[in-house]
Amino acid sequence: MNYKAVIIGGSAGSFQIVTRILNALQPTFPLPLLLCLHRLKHVRSGFVEALSLKSSIPVFEPFDKEQLKPGRAYLAPANYHMFIELANRVALSADDPVNHSRPSIDLSFITAANAYRDKLIGIILSGANRDGAYGLKKVADNGGVTIVQDPKESEVKTMPESALQLTKVDYVYSSDQIIRFLLKL
Amino acid sequence: MVDLGIVDIREIIRLIKDHYNYDFSTFALTSFKHRLEYIISKNNLTSPESLFRKLSSQPEFFNTFMAQVCVPSSEMFRDPSFWRWLRDEFFNGIEEKQYSNFKIWLPYSISGSELFSLCIFLKELHLLDKVKIISTSFSQENIDLIKSGSYPMKKIEISAENYKRMYGEEELENYFKYEKFDVKRDISLIKDVEFIVDNFEYKNAPKNIKLILLRNVMIYFNPTYQEKVLGIMYDSLTGNGNLAIGLREQIKLNPNPPSFELVSIQESVYKKKLA
Repeated sequence: MNYKAVIIGGSAGSFQIVTRILNALQPTFPLPLLLCLHRLKHVRSGFVEALSLKSSIPVFEPFDKEQLKPGRAYLAPANYHMFIELANRVALSADDPVNHSRPSIDLSFITAANAYRDKLIGIILSGANRDGAYGLKKVADNGGVTIVQDPKESEVKTMPESALQLTKVDYVYSSDQIIRFLLKL
Repeated sequence: MVDLGIVDIREIIRLIKDHYNYDFSTFALTSFKHRLEYIISKNNLTSPESLFRKLSSQPEFFNTFMAQVCVPSSEMFRDPSFWRWLRDEFFNGIEEKQYSNFKIWLPYSISGSELFSLCIFLKELHLLDKVKIISTSFSQENIDLIKSGSYPMKKIEISAENYKRMYGEEELENYFKYEKFDVKRDISLIKDVEFIVDNFEYKNAPKNIKLILLRNVMIYFNPTYQEKVLGIMYDSLTGNGNLAIGLREQIKLNPNPPSFELVSIQESVYKKKLA
């Protein structure tokens, strides 16, 4: 299967596993990795630097309409929604928060699912609210691969459990299994 | 929730172009789609077809559509560090005599949040009476909304936090009037603002502008139209006029006009580069 992108959503309790994923990936990782993680809207620097510290691939906060490239991670910038346009570009938006969140994981997942259809892998990690559940459903509806971090292992279960309630996902994985899955791509 | 397909969106664009002569093919597709779905839900429509019908048969609905389709600025005093920069770096360096013909333009006023922020900011610097502010909207309905002072209650908290982070002189609440079910901004702040209605071609763009605030506006446009808008901004600016855009927007530094140079990379401010 020829995938086009991986998208990861997470909130409270997801920082550590995202750091481990970024550390484990090889610079030759064949896809762009989209990261939509809840963050404080008024703290605009520091997060990408913290994620970069142990990452094996470059981590960017994209500019509007930036072209997505394989082997790079793109972190939704503070106080913006990160949409994926059809031409493999990012489109930022400062539209109203969805479920109190901007960036909204749902909006990133929905637009990515529209852009990549069945060529998308969507992953929901630990988090403290329901954001991302509807977005992951859209990934599934479009034929993409859906993975949820095992709630038993998640630091905060609400986000993975909400995703599992809404969608019959392809895999419920531990963080080690998620990393192994990504390394096989 | 209605999920619009690309065919539906093209049909809406065509319909509006034919009936009302606004060309929404200049908009970025994903955020436009998101906005159309918002309009469908906000107006209790149930299908793309019901939006087609309303747009083609009810010209008065188009005013509502125009007032709702553009994304308003997210909050007042977004990015407090930008406002601090504007005060400490930009206005601090301007000499008194330069204010004799000092024009500031907001080319995309939807909710007026950026406009009211600017007016409060200038008032506290004792500059509000010295500068000329021009505000462009795409519909009279937007202008009426701005002039009413109306402001969504849910955005006050974040705006007040931003204002504190900017180190404003007063409490932001002092610029609001609380009514029974509503909150209004102090409209005396905008009494000298010149309001212009325009379409996406910017035929009524003002000239000799010293400062343009276009923060997080071009993100809603496609790359081709972004280029065009930059050309319009370039033509409107004076010799070394400044253009502020959003923090995650950037302008390519072309050698040939319309070209800009960076003034502040942190706050995403550029200035017109003379040929």
